[in-house]
Amino acid sequence: MRNNAFLAVGLLTLALAACGSSEPAPVVEQIVIREPGDPVATPEAPTEEAGEIDKVAFGEEAFAQCSGCHNADAGGPHQAGPNLHGVFGQQAGSKEGYPYSDALASSEITWDYASLDRFLSNPAGYVEGTSMVAGAVRDGEERAAIVAYLASTSEGS
Amino acid sequence: MNDLTPQKKSGLSKWSRRGFIGAGVLAGGGLLIGIGVRSGNPIGALAPKVAAGEGEQLVNSWVKIGLDNVVTAIVPHCEMGQGAHSVLAQMLADELDADWSQVRVQQAPTDGSYIVTDTARQFVAPFTMNAADWLEPTWDGLFTQIGRLADAMLTGGSSSIRTTGQYQMRVAGAAARQMLVGAAAEEWGVPASEIETRDSTLIHTASGKSAPYAEFATAAAEQPMDQTPTLKTPDQYKLIGKSKARTDIPSKVNGTAKFGIDAAPEGVDFSYAATLRPPVPGTSVASMDASKAKDMGGVLQILNMGDFVAVVADSYWQAQQALNRVDVTWTEAESPIKTSEDQFAAYARAMDEAGADGGDEAAAKGDFAGAFESAPTKIEAEYKVPYLAHAPMEPINCTAMVKDGKCDVWTSTQVPLRVRTELNAALGIDKDAITVHHPYLGGSFGRRLEGLYTVMTARIAQATGYPIKSIWSREEDTQKALYRPAEISRFQGGLDDDGALVAYDNIFTQRNDPAEASVPGIYSIPNTRVRTADAPLHLPFAAWRSVDHSQHGFFIESFIDEAAHTAGADPYEYRLAMLKDAPRQTAVLKKVAEISNWGAELPEGTAKGIAIVESFGSIVAQVIEVDMSSGKPKMKNVWAVCDAGYVVNPDGFKNQIEGGIVFGLTAAMYGELDLVDGGVKQSNFHDYKMLRMDETPNIMVEIINSGDVPIGGAGEPGLPPAAPALTNAIFAATGERLRELPIAKKFA
Repeated sequence: MRNNAFLAVGLLTLALAACGSSEPAPVVEQIVIREPGDPVATPEAPTEEAGEIDKVAFGEEAFAQCSGCHNADAGGPHQAGPNLHGVFGQQAGSKEGYPYSDALASSEITWDYASLDRFLSNPAGYVEGTSMVAGAVRDGEERAAIVAYLASTSEGS
Repeated sequence: MNDLTPQKKSGLSKWSRRGFIGAGVLAGGGLLIGIGVRSGNPIGALAPKVAAGEGEQLVNSWVKIGLDNVVTAIVPHCEMGQGAHSVLAQMLADELDADWSQVRVQQAPTDGSYIVTDTARQFVAPFTMNAADWLEPTWDGLFTQIGRLADAMLTGGSSSIRTTGQYQMRVAGAAARQMLVGAAAEEWGVPASEIETRDSTLIHTASGKSAPYAEFATAAAEQPMDQTPTLKTPDQYKLIGKSKARTDIPSKVNGTAKFGIDAAPEGVDFSYAATLRPPVPGTSVASMDASKAKDMGGVLQILNMGDFVAVVADSYWQAQQALNRVDVTWTEAESPIKTSEDQFAAYARAMDEAGADGGDEAAAKGDFAGAFESAPTKIEAEYKVPYLAHAPMEPINCTAMVKDGKCDVWTSTQVPLRVRTELNAALGIDKDAITVHHPYLGGSFGRRLEGLYTVMTARIAQATGYPIKSIWSREEDTQKALYRPAEISRFQGGLDDDGALVAYDNIFTQRNDPAEASVPGIYSIPNTRVRTADAPLHLPFAAWRSVDHSQHGFFIESFIDEAAHTAGADPYEYRLAMLKDAPRQTAVLKKVAEISNWGAELPEGTAKGIAIVESFGSIVAQVIEVDMSSGKPKMKNVWAVCDAGYVVNPDGFKNQIEGGIVFGLTAAMYGELDLVDGGVKQSNFHDYKMLRMDETPNIMVEIINSGDVPIGGAGEPGLPPAAPALTNAIFAATGERLRELPIAKKFA
């Protein structure tokens, strides 16, 4: 009796797994920007001749390299790394709801231009034991721009 | 009334009726032996309902012998780190008396003739695995048909070795050996019985003749085929039972091994896709604003596919960066379940409604109600476990090319044939025109038993016209996958005057596989009742390493421990008394007590816990020693004893048990997904933690080969006892009973 009951259940499971076919789903919206292999229209890199560079805008663009782990949007979620909105001027390791390393949480660093510059140039060299084991920004100008961008998110908050 | 008595299992002697053997000559010479199932054999009354068609070719090819004397085992199961490829070849090579250094493994192509009949059978109706002879043709034909219908070319259920290995690889090897011997006997003019085989060589001692297999491979194909070749007995094994080094390890150490994500088909210039699915099950894209993403570097196309959004770019990084800037709004979810509390409340409500005697009876024996009523001591407990993700290391990925009415995909999957069927349904391309290439998997644990990610990729390839490689971000896989269900399980128990558990009642809501996971069948409890209540499940279900056993192992073994402590008994002795009708389980439990030095004096704050679970044909008992002196659990040692009947590769088996323990302890300590606004809150390894090396206890594994029983699995059975052994140890150390997982948040 028990065997037969189990058999019936099993057959049903496998049979269902075999069904479920449907019509090919239509594409709702398709935006074509260019074809693979076509030349890329690169925006011109800002030069000194072109006038003053918007450091914050440059920093926001450069922040793309950090965005695998972080965002700096107001109210944005923590990802692999914490949300960085308004981090400038705050105590290190103090964002609510992110599991910081003990090393960073107890570092007593306050994030300013100098400390952020130092940390971003070599995170583990500055705070030994940080869980930020990747993502150092080698280029000094880029680093400064990222810090400027982060500082801009603290303004008025 | 269901009978809880464990199924009486016969020995291995019935394997032989299973096979239909065919042979042919390989193009360019060499022997090809196939074993499958008789086509057109009489099948049972259910046949018309499941038969896929008349006169299908059902010859499956498992072994080839090349002219270079290399023996190649063609393996239908996938290799996801569990070692099945190598061990299946080991089983075939032993029966064939092949030179192990000249044995290679080849992944079977995704083809309907490579269905793994016996695996399907193990899932659907395990009680037929060793059926009486006269039933064999019936069962076998039936399961082949079911297998073809359900695309049962699958790897799961700890089944590769105990089904395909036992019933197909060994038979194919033995048949090939007999035919080689037959060919040599004819050529040399000597009796076949005088020819020995050793290291891929045929030897006739009296005449001094010898030849490599390759020399007779072609002639062997002309030999008559024994439908039931004699298999070796354990004393004749040369490779089976030995820890032969795995054939896949060197390539994994030197980095040349190819996983799904490494797919780089020659001459194919593919673009990359990143995809975003709805955060809540059952919802879809309401609108998409791509204005911020359009001008980003490398972007080729941005697509609203209805059920997901995709960005196609020159590189994965560019695709993912642009996708992060696409603003998507999703449709409203209909499910009333928004939070974890809602999910657990739905479970509780369903069980409250079922009441003391309601719900669906899953199994029962004796008279629970009467025995409980008259029991002098009554106990109750409620246990709770959260949703879990599989979180395999290799990201979810697929490479797809859709061109000229054909589709090729390269992907990591446990179910290549099911992938083909899903692609067929989604693209409207004939199955014959779809090729699924499936290299190694970088871990899976049940995650890759579905084909959605391959369908998504192929749809993008079809829409754009480009070959596409798509990779899911870790966040997508953590939040938008299929999951081990959250669960609540309630128990009532009645103890008699001696403290013996005489009445046992359990109710829970999610019953999937295996069907017997919730049944405490190993214990002698006279009055037992197991019930289920019907409750909605918010996140989609997936089999997760050891499936229902991963939860019921914790529930049942916690409750048995509570009964022992209520009775004032030692939890080991208490279990032993209840295993009086289970000699194999008794031997396993005694052995684990012995090697863990159970009962020995321990330092203040340190204690041991014990648990035993039988799953996927293997009995595993564990003792865990935990140090609570710091106020937080520090796991020190795990002792595990396993009886899988007969272990084919001891090192590989122990490795799987160790992996199962670490996986189980990870879930017990940290594993938890919370629902927020109907979606998964956790996103990546920082908030969905894995056990680290420094937290991992020493693990000692011992094997008992108890012999003449169907052999058991390895990939999953190590997991279920880990959580209860740990919480039982914490109770023994602190007096605090942990009825809810994960543990770590309790001590945060």
